Amino acid sequence: MLRGVLDLCLLAVVVDEPAYGYEMTRRLRERGLSTVGEGSIYPLLGRLEREGLVATHREASDGGPPRKYYSASPSGRRALSEGVRAWRDVRGEVDSVLATIEAEVA
Amino acid sequence: MTAYVEECRQEWKRLGVPDLLAEEMATELESDLAEAQADGVSAAELLGESDPRRFAANWAGERGLVREPAPPKRRRIWPWIVVALFLVLFVTWTALQTAGHGSATRGRPVEVTPSRRVSVPNVIGMKACKALRTVAHTVDDWRIAGHPYGSTCDETVVGQSPVGHVIRRDGHPVIVTLRVGRS
Repeated sequence: MLRGVLDLCLLAVVVDEPAYGYEMTRRLRERGLSTVGEGSIYPLLGRLEREGLVATHREASDGGPPRKYYSASPSGRRALSEGVRAWRDVRGEVDSVLATIEAEVA
Repeated sequence: MTAYVEECRQEWKRLGVPDLLAEEMATELESDLAEAQADGVSAAELLGESDPRRFAANWAGERGLVREPAPPKRRRIWPWIVVALFLVLFVTWTALQTAGHGSATRGRPVEVTPSRRVSVPNVIGMKACKALRTVAHTVDDWRIAGHPYGSTCDETVVGQSPVGHVIRRDGHPVIVTLRVGRS
């Protein structure tokens, strides 16, 4: 479930504006997700690319080699929309379960 | 940083990742690591994995760039099925041909063919030895009637049985009996 959630987060940070790998990590951190978790974003990006959920292109960088930019593809946008809806449903259910436990512990 | 990327390159090579794609990933990683380092972010923080080979394998695997090991060869059975099918068809066809041929001849009158038609030459009047050599070529056996042990080549055949065409059936040899005497 968490793996799927990270996919959603990656799609979310490139749905409006393309970004390269490290820039995506930076955007995630800026939005509050500081630890991506074991394995980093690159394998996940590889899978999203293979599944056609992200599109890629290269852009020249300052002084270095061209950077690979990722953006949400049309199917990626659909997946993001459905995923966000599913996540909100799950989040509400999980919050209910956790809220009960926290009250008992407190 | 460079050592980390170099380790990744070697792992991708080992895994059979196409060179161009391996180079693309290496360049992407190298640029990001350099930028992260400038920001004070370590490779471990960025990649979440201290083992470059495991990281490289994971990335290539998720991208679908790792060749699947070839499945063990299975013995192909379809050629044998085809051969068996042809054999069945051939046997069926042969059986039908035979049955058809048999039914075509069934209507005809049965023709009894002789096992062998033998023409026994007429040797009457011939000298005995010459007569025997002559008939010996055509018949299965011969007999000398009268006084065979005393016969000589000078004697002449005075009688013969059978003469002319005879039918030799299986199990029934043609035997010629010659009667010799002094003419």
